[in-house]
Amino acid sequence: MMKTLITPLLFTLSAALLAAPVQVEDSRGSHSLPDVPQRVAALNWDIAEQVIELGVTPVAMPNIADYTAWVAQPAVPEGVEDIGTRMEPNLERLAQLQPDVIIIASPQIDLVPKLEQIAPVLLYHTYNESHDNAQAAIENFRRMAAALGKEAEAEQRLTAMSQRLNELKAQLSEAYLGQLPRVVAFRFASLTSVYVYGDNSIPQYALAQLGVAPAWPQPATQWGVTQKRLKALGQLPAETVALYYQPFDEEAKLQTSKIWQALPFVRNGGVNSVAPAWNYGGAMSILYNAEVLAEALLAVAPEK
Amino acid sequence: MKLISQSTAGLLLLLAASLIALQAGESLPLADQIGLLDQLWHGVATNLNYNAILFVEGRIPRLLMAMLVGSVLGLVGSLMQQLTQNPLVSPLTLGTASGAWLALVAGSLWFPVLAAQFAAPLAMTGAMLALALTVFIAGLSNLSGLPMVLAGLAVNILFGSIATAMILLNDQYARDLFIWGAGDLEQNGWQLLHWLLPNLLPALLIPAIAPRVLMLLRLGQDNAAARGLTLLPLFLLLLCLGLWSLSAAIAAVGVISFVGLLAPNIARRLGARLPLQELLFSSLLGALLLIATDALAILITELSVNLVPTGVATALIGAPALIYFSRSRLKAKDNLHLELPLSRFRYSLYTPLLLVALLIALLLLTTLLTVETAQLSDWRLQWPSDYSWSLRWPRMLVAIAAGGGTAVAGVLLQRLIYNPLASPDVIGVSAGATLALVAASLFFGINIHQAGPWLAFLGSAIALVMLIALAKRQHFAPSVVVLIGISMTAMIEALVHFAMARADESAFAILAWLAGSTYRVSAQSSVLLAVAVTVIVALVFMLQRWLVLISAGRVFAQARGLSVGYAFATLLGCVALLVALVTSLMGPVAFVGLLAPHIGVMLGARKASQQLLVALLTGANLMLFADLLGQYIVYPAQIAAGIIVAVLGGAYFIFLLIRTRMKS
Repeated sequence: MMKTLITPLLFTLSAALLAAPVQVEDSRGSHSLPDVPQRVAALNWDIAEQVIELGVTPVAMPNIADYTAWVAQPAVPEGVEDIGTRMEPNLERLAQLQPDVIIIASPQIDLVPKLEQIAPVLLYHTYNESHDNAQAAIENFRRMAAALGKEAEAEQRLTAMSQRLNELKAQLSEAYLGQLPRVVAFRFASLTSVYVYGDNSIPQYALAQLGVAPAWPQPATQWGVTQKRLKALGQLPAETVALYYQPFDEEAKLQTSKIWQALPFVRNGGVNSVAPAWNYGGAMSILYNAEVLAEALLAVAPEK
Repeated sequence: MKLISQSTAGLLLLLAASLIALQAGESLPLADQIGLLDQLWHGVATNLNYNAILFVEGRIPRLLMAMLVGSVLGLVGSLMQQLTQNPLVSPLTLGTASGAWLALVAGSLWFPVLAAQFAAPLAMTGAMLALALTVFIAGLSNLSGLPMVLAGLAVNILFGSIATAMILLNDQYARDLFIWGAGDLEQNGWQLLHWLLPNLLPALLIPAIAPRVLMLLRLGQDNAAARGLTLLPLFLLLLCLGLWSLSAAIAAVGVISFVGLLAPNIARRLGARLPLQELLFSSLLGALLLIATDALAILITELSVNLVPTGVATALIGAPALIYFSRSRLKAKDNLHLELPLSRFRYSLYTPLLLVALLIALLLLTTLLTVETAQLSDWRLQWPSDYSWSLRWPRMLVAIAAGGGTAVAGVLLQRLIYNPLASPDVIGVSAGATLALVAASLFFGINIHQAGPWLAFLGSAIALVMLIALAKRQHFAPSVVVLIGISMTAMIEALVHFAMARADESAFAILAWLAGSTYRVSAQSSVLLAVAVTVIVALVFMLQRWLVLISAGRVFAQARGLSVGYAFATLLGCVALLVALVTSLMGPVAFVGLLAPHIGVMLGARKASQQLLVALLTGANLMLFADLLGQYIVYPAQIAAGIIVAVLGGAYFIFLLIRTRMKS
């Protein structure tokens, strides 16, 4: 009882202390918010993921069921309301939730005029062909943290991430005796075609942090993925390690495919599947991708 | 004897074409290829290097797959065209592809692992169901007419819309399906061929049974009966054989459009006269066509960054080819049409008044209905907040204008081309607008929601000019008008599948837009649409005398001193304008243009002016109701009004047709 009385009181007090408007940065420039926002609406998955990472429970986010299936980490805390799809979030419900700030990514750009009537809008455009997505993810994570008054948490998470990345890098270096193979990371689209993670993709960046170079560099695209024929993987040298993300529903058929078995790196045993991870997320998804990639790489390391 | 020498020549031609096609993008020298083929023939191909394995396990199966699927498409296309005596019938126009597509989308959403394992039987079930539905709608006695094609289109739209709704609500899951949807012939080993071959065995019965039946059919059903032959059982057997082979081919490689439609028409043009001759010729031509386009697709994929599936290549080549052929050869019997049920209502002043009252009631409900929590059960009626109102009124205005406008366009079209199954989404004008927007978004990176009405207008204007230019020679024969629509729609589908397979952000914006949503409409553009639609509809009402005269028959209209060509072009222009306006603002809207005029007739509105008025109001009501339902049915998510309308309209339409047929 006391707590429920005191909490609003504390908020009012802190609000009074911080009454000065807050200057925040987003992908469109500088904005002035009346106060550090408490009620945050996140309209895209990568945004929701980062807000949750920063220790803020958003009041609303889109399509929680599918987020749980595809993004998975971090888990959605109790009390977040589902606001519909990413393309068409329910604006009336959003308005009723009275957010202090609405944070969006590129799919919602054309909704800005309608959203601004509800609350100030911050845009964090992470995935773009013309910049470095991983750097943008980290920068956006910091900017978002600044806007939400969580700089300390952000720096702590980023430091922890680079520590963990160094740990993983050291483990890999040890397992491979300093001779890390080149790696091609991809996801199956069908039995005959794959999406290769190239320049500007989170998996390739995560691998680079682990000290692993790409076996098959691809030009930068918006999400860093390029569609390729499976057979084209045959041009990669036998020392390559191929890592493909789960889930792939036709894995049983793959194992009986002669083309697959004839691929030089498959003959050489340099192949493993990678536990599911979201490849289009925010800063912390670099860590999650690095974890599963490192795990898969360690499993196929040569015997000592 | 002649047939045998022709067949031998055909097989030699096929062999030569195959050898040439094999060279497309192939790194292995020709001598090695022949050596490998020889080893493969004798079953001694072992210890191969990677390129040789690719050739044996990838390229050869792909070539055989193209040959097999192409010949099945040609054979079944010819069989169906001869059975129905309808040169417009083909797998593409019968709804099979969308049936398979829907089954796969639904399967992979609900049972992903199972669906991947049993993709082929699943797709086959969907394709068979869609075909059965199409035949059921048109009725066995209507197979030879345009109604068959239009029924196929209706099934296409219905199934396609449901699939799109599922994809939009679960966008992450359906992504990989698009490669299949785009018709990809690439093979990984022989397993798919091994699956397909036994499933195609029934197709061998077709050339054995069909010729006699087809010959008798040409004499007419009555003549055949007089010779003591009841054709129906054999007819049905042949239809089943054809459908089965077709479904198997679609299940194996996805949507390959146009081959089944074009091959028999080319065969006839090349002089195939006898039924068996046409069947075999079409089969050979189908194989040749698909081998050639597949080689082209391989070459384009080599040259460009993107992966180009064969289905995209066939659609991009087939659509213009079909339009070219339609200029002189393709004519379906246009006079057959579906009987609308007799109205139990009599038209009076109260009919439009009641519809207006219904519209007002819907408007009130849409305005007042509010849900204040995450639970839909907490709904209540109250005056909306300023913000809610600012969102709601443009949507209501657009729904009314779009529904009413499309309905009027539908009445015009049905009366102009004398076919109660015609709908504005059929004639290709809506498709033209859509194609322009999708292409702009794909190739120039323009956001499809911001591309604006001008681009859509340009697209539909080009489609309209093409339509008039092409159709004029044929005196605006409905078949030509419909064909252009079908061609454009198939091209759009191919482009969309291609974009989706590329998996970038614009693809989902395009898909969401294709659903036909009022969600993103601004206040300003809603007012613009309402004003423009009002002006055009007013013009149509002023020109209704023309419509009355043309409805009564062209000769009659001419005799009354009406310049039929001029009036026809003007009224068709109104249709195009209405459709372009609506499409540019909320995306393609299906079925309203088909349903609203029908409901008009069922409510007793027989005269042109009555039907226009009742359809206008019905269309507005329908769309408004669809938008309302779409906003709450999966609350807090939303389903686009265009999809709700297509599903409601399609389901109702099919119910109506079935009921009519039960009674007769």
